[in-house]
Amino acid sequence: MKEVTKAELLKEIHDSVVEFDEEKTTELCEKALEIGIPPYDAIMDGLALGMDAVGSLYEQKEYFVPELLLCSDAMYAGLDILRPHVKVDEHQTAGKIVMGVVEGDIHDIGKSLVKTMFEAAGWDICDLGKDVKLGKFVEALKDTGADVVAISALMTTSMMAMPKVIGMLKAEKPDVIVLVGGAPLTEDIAQQYGADGYAKDAISAVQVAKNLLKKAA
Amino acid sequence: MHLRQDRLTASERMDALFTYQKPDRVPLGAMSTGFNTRNAGHTVADAYEDPEKSYSDMQWTTEQYGWDPIPQYAGHTVLGAWDFGGDVRMPKGEFEGALVVTEKPVNSEDDVAKLELPDPATVGRIPLAMRFSKLQFENNLPVYFFSRSPFTMAANICGIDLFLRWTMKKPKLCEALLDISLKHIINALTLWLETFGTDRVFVWMSSPSESNQLISPRTFKKFALPYHEAYHQRLRELGVQRFGQHICGEQNLNLPLFAESPPWPHPSVLSFGHEVDLEAAADFFPKDIIFGNIEPAVIQTGTPEQVYELCRVAIEKGKKAPGGFILGPGCGMPVNAPSANVYAMTKAVHDFGFYE
Repeated sequence: MKEVTKAELLKEIHDSVVEFDEEKTTELCEKALEIGIPPYDAIMDGLALGMDAVGSLYEQKEYFVPELLLCSDAMYAGLDILRPHVKVDEHQTAGKIVMGVVEGDIHDIGKSLVKTMFEAAGWDICDLGKDVKLGKFVEALKDTGADVVAISALMTTSMMAMPKVIGMLKAEKPDVIVLVGGAPLTEDIAQQYGADGYAKDAISAVQVAKNLLKKAA
Repeated sequence: MHLRQDRLTASERMDALFTYQKPDRVPLGAMSTGFNTRNAGHTVADAYEDPEKSYSDMQWTTEQYGWDPIPQYAGHTVLGAWDFGGDVRMPKGEFEGALVVTEKPVNSEDDVAKLELPDPATVGRIPLAMRFSKLQFENNLPVYFFSRSPFTMAANICGIDLFLRWTMKKPKLCEALLDISLKHIINALTLWLETFGTDRVFVWMSSPSESNQLISPRTFKKFALPYHEAYHQRLRELGVQRFGQHICGEQNLNLPLFAESPPWPHPSVLSFGHEVDLEAAADFFPKDIIFGNIEPAVIQTGTPEQVYELCRVAIEKGKKAPGGFILGPGCGMPVNAPSANVYAMTKAVHDFGFYE
């Protein structure tokens, strides 16, 4: 297989994610398998790089949430094709993260986008969903041994649960990194609540988590 | 506690604002549904399902903090998911502050065509809202009719994530939802106007799904703005006299589009979150009454001093607004706001808000 053909196909996969073309992404990922491109390469250098580009477009205010959702759909369509073929020893996890929308809150669009970005960045994700009882966060941390727990809240009522669950998580695993986000949150409030980090949006969340992991190492 | 003596009643204060007269002081208002009932020792759910308790708690809270009746409602009059055949439940537990949609009426493309216009007299929480409004009417208060914008209601019917996907891939479905949402809002509003009279009804709207945290100004211009225009065309035809809108969240990119040709009558009350600078809002909308914009998270988690200082700055900016200014939280008053922090807003209005 010619290097240029692999590079071209990976670029096409990247572009199909950026252009939120779910059908094309599926076809291209199937083609990648057919011509023998390692599925892990197709994920990281095709799909994931595509989502990186999407993140930049969001930061430049070219893309907003509708585009992010559709690009995410395209990425997941590609992952559905490629992931079953990734060899276990090939997969290098960037980290393990538990995430969820805190108890009392059902607004999960932000959390879903955060999940997409962590997925694209190669993290192992335990997604607890929305309206997650506080004890479930702790249970999931115990079960997964996660490095990071990410919690979101959109309402001033539900954000009141955060200091409680952060306390419970730290009691369970003192060196766990807790990341919070959501519209009413700020850096100051995150600190006040005992969180280790705050992400203002889905795009910055991965970098914040990486920085915190590096600092803790 | 020494507050300055008001020279006008709340009603006179609001009348002054609506005729571009300087009132005695900056009015103080709060969107405060669940806060009122908690404040009076009841539950957040009581605010939504017990109109008499909600009304009484609202009046006690209003008097306690010296609020003006702008706006005063017990939850939305019309609701997308509930009114069109979905299901909601009341807030429960320690961390819920609003109604929770448990079943959406639209979950697929096929469901859109099956939607029917609901009966505006009986559906959802409209009968409860009517009881609340009757109490306002009987007590010589403005009768509030509160809806979300057609865009926000349409998104509520099928869920925001599906609706946003459809704005890109299936715009006709969005238009169908927007059309039926607008029709339902107007049907219910017509009932309010026929029951209470155009001179007593204060129409209030909020538009959280139009925030630029979700959509681009392109999407706002294509899907939301035309329906604001159609909505206000109907309001003019119906003879509505007072209107207010909570332009919720980060909407700085939408404001220039609204400002090109504001569809609402002047003056209207325009409520802004902390994300929008009050001076910028006043520049965009010089003929309207600017309302806001103290950050709710600070009211909830900050100190009274922090809230007081934010109010001082807001009042300093707001007093320069040519169309008038009302101090208030930048979104709903947090249910768990400490009373000293809420009082800090009252104190700030009395220390800085009088017009000499």
